[in-house]
Amino acid sequence: MEEEQIKELLNELGRQVTEPVRPGLGEEIKQRIPHRLSRHKIGWNTVNIIIDLRLSKSVAAAVIIVTLILLLNLFGGRELTGSGIIKDSMLLIKYWGNSGKDPVSIARSRYEHLLERGENVIWYGYSIDVKDANSVLMQRKLPDGKYQLTFADGQEKQVNSEQLVELLARMLEKSTK
Amino acid sequence: MGKKVKIAEQKSDLAYLKNTQPNLDRDMQHDSRKQDSLATRLRAGDRMAASELVDEYYQQIYLFMRRLGHDRQASEDLTQESFFNAWHHIGQLKDGKALNGWLYRIASNVSKLHWRKHKHKEVIGIEGLQMQQSDKSEHEKIEHNEQLEQLKVAVEQLPIKLRETIILHYMQQLTIAEAAEAAGLNQGTFKSRLNRALKNLRKSIK
Repeated sequence: MEEEQIKELLNELGRQVTEPVRPGLGEEIKQRIPHRLSRHKIGWNTVNIIIDLRLSKSVAAAVIIVTLILLLNLFGGRELTGSGIIKDSMLLIKYWGNSGKDPVSIARSRYEHLLERGENVIWYGYSIDVKDANSVLMQRKLPDGKYQLTFADGQEKQVNSEQLVELLARMLEKSTK
Repeated sequence: MGKKVKIAEQKSDLAYLKNTQPNLDRDMQHDSRKQDSLATRLRAGDRMAASELVDEYYQQIYLFMRRLGHDRQASEDLTQESFFNAWHHIGQLKDGKALNGWLYRIASNVSKLHWRKHKHKEVIGIEGLQMQQSDKSEHEKIEHNEQLEQLKVAVEQLPIKLRETIILHYMQQLTIAEAAEAAGLNQGTFKSRLNRALKNLRKSIK
């Protein structure tokens, strides 16, 4: 059959493949017209843009993985191997699970994870006054030779070796007093 | 004598074409102006315009759903849902955008979401053809109807994306621009998809 003939038949099919619409359907729809037609809803545009983008499943999965890796890097994860990502994900879940807890227990779970990964970390939490916000809970040696310190109030700071010695000495002095 | 009659017929055909062409153009312009004004009133939040939109399109949207393979009940529900979504997406109705392209796009998305939720649901097309009066012989009529029936089955068996292009352009009688807008594609992609659908149909009918 020629393409032109198919097109003609399709047009005809459009006219013939039909059925009566239930009377009353139009009225039912009209009854649902809201009293105030919303012309513009803030926030919906963003959702619509996402829908319009129509991301495929693989792209969506890639976006999730990249976001996860970025979050983990922020959190301190460095291994990008399969097992590293799984471990880091578990840690992240644990971290979120602990979000309602105090900074000391959050730092502790993080310390355990870093230790398990074989990182150079030291926990001072047993010997310090956790009520003092300036007390160092944990020290972690970074590949560039600096140290990342986690304080009792949950804050983090990067220091060099001299600053570390100074801070630890001050802490030790306080605890002996 | 016979030649003279044929020439006279051709002349009258030409005259008919010359007379009807401006009318067709006028009708299309009138439709387009009507749609523009309806769209403007909708954007302004006019409830009467919303009511006119329902009157104008609810049958078309219902048949669109039926032709996409939804059963009667689902088609009614999805038609209602399409309009309900339309009220909430009036902000998306931009200047210069065809009103029916916009509405069909919402309906098409509603249908897609429904299929996604009910993956294993059977495709139920409209049963039977509404026979129209014609001056063909009985034999010709039977042959023609067989061709139509074959084509209907072939359309129903097309993958959903290709089926949608055929339905929008040929069955719902949307222009390429409107149908492309409804399918959420640019016109080039829509045309190539339409060609692919026609090739598939040609293969399956022969």
